Amino acid sequence: MKLNLTINGNPKTFEISPNSILLDVLRRAGLKGVKKGCGEGSCGACAVLIDGRPRNSCLVFAAQCEGAKVISVEGMGNPANPHPLQDAFIRHGATQCGYCNPGSLIAAKALLERTPSPTWDEVKEALDGNLCRCTGYVKRIEAVLDAASFGKNNK
Amino acid sequence: MLDSLTQFHRPSTIEEACALLAAQDMKNVPLAGGTFLAESRDSTVQGLVDLSRLELSFIRHTGNEFVIGAMTPVQDIFKSKVLCGPSGRLLKDAAGKIGSTLLRNSITSGGNLVSVFPWSDLPPALLALDAEVQIRKGIPKRTIPVQALLEKSPREFLDRAELVTEIHVPVFGPQTGTSFTKFSKTANDYSLITVATRITLDGGTIGEARIALSGATRKPLRRNDAEQHLLGKPVSLALLAEAAAKAAQNLDLTSDFRASREFRTEVLQVLVRRALQDAIRQVGS
Repeated sequence: MKLNLTINGNPKTFEISPNSILLDVLRRAGLKGVKKGCGEGSCGACAVLIDGRPRNSCLVFAAQCEGAKVISVEGMGNPANPHPLQDAFIRHGATQCGYCNPGSLIAAKALLERTPSPTWDEVKEALDGNLCRCTGYVKRIEAVLDAASFGKNNK
Repeated sequence: MLDSLTQFHRPSTIEEACALLAAQDMKNVPLAGGTFLAESRDSTVQGLVDLSRLELSFIRHTGNEFVIGAMTPVQDIFKSKVLCGPSGRLLKDAAGKIGSTLLRNSITSGGNLVSVFPWSDLPPALLALDAEVQIRKGIPKRTIPVQALLEKSPREFLDRAELVTEIHVPVFGPQTGTSFTKFSKTANDYSLITVATRITLDGGTIGEARIALSGATRKPLRRNDAEQHLLGKPVSLALLAEAAAKAAQNLDLTSDFRASREFRTEVLQVLVRRALQDAIRQVGS
């Protein structure tokens, strides 16, 4: 069956099976920033925005997303032109192995779009589905809060 | 992986969805958020019926009840500005305990109820609130208590062509308090014991009481003997402790590597007593 998606702003058509999982479709399309961690909804490394909602792409059938707008970490920025969140993650050292970063960044982006000036607890809650097993949880919260205030100062 | 899956349907009306589910030559099953089915290895499933285009994602306040569409992501319940009062508090507390932000954006109210697991958070809350569900079979509809839906299992209760489309939750006044507890090893782990309580005071005594349990039981259930014990009596710590002890009696609690039956029985009484205290503390707030 055919699947029409807008991925990071670009309309694309895929040939998929009814049982295809969104995570696999995105990775096969070259979006390797979408990570397969646990594959069962526990770790959040595969998080993408689907019509603005951060969700685990490992637990979504690709066919559920017909017509949807999907944003992956590739849609946030690149090394030459990083997103303020990516920039803040680097400055705060909120990255070691980096495997959880794409999902954490997506969850943080979803938070800041809804809540531009979050509290510490709001950041903590928004990232509650993104496990990090090496950097820890404090630096990335500081990074998100920093990116939020950076966004405010540049409006 | 659903190995035998050949069809993915996207109906735009409830009638169309029910007709697809009624098909005799294909095993079509309803798809809500997908968090269960995406991991399922059920090789009998041939078709999925995606319910996301049925316009069932909403939360309304109609005066004497809250109406929640079955396809409403539980994150929307957790963050709702419409839900308020004792019912709203219990629903939001329960919804906020489900999985994580990423999961709550996928999991739906109807999916959490119909695909009920021992650790599902909404079902015990809905039991404590005397909630009802609206069920559609094409155009015909019926409304039944959540308790009846959970008596066996929702899948056994529902005809294959039937869909739960709305959850109706009564609004309670200021004389009511509610409390929700999920007891687990970590915030994201499965619940070892879940307790949802509602107390309605009538003058100086307890007018209505609901104690619903999950997590440690095979399915969500109410503790009628413990509820009855509270009725018509003035609130005291001793009374709440007696009811909590009754709530732990004659129960076949789960025993596994996470926690033994003995441990759960001890903890259950403490959690129920505290939940009743908390509900009473919420009265008038």
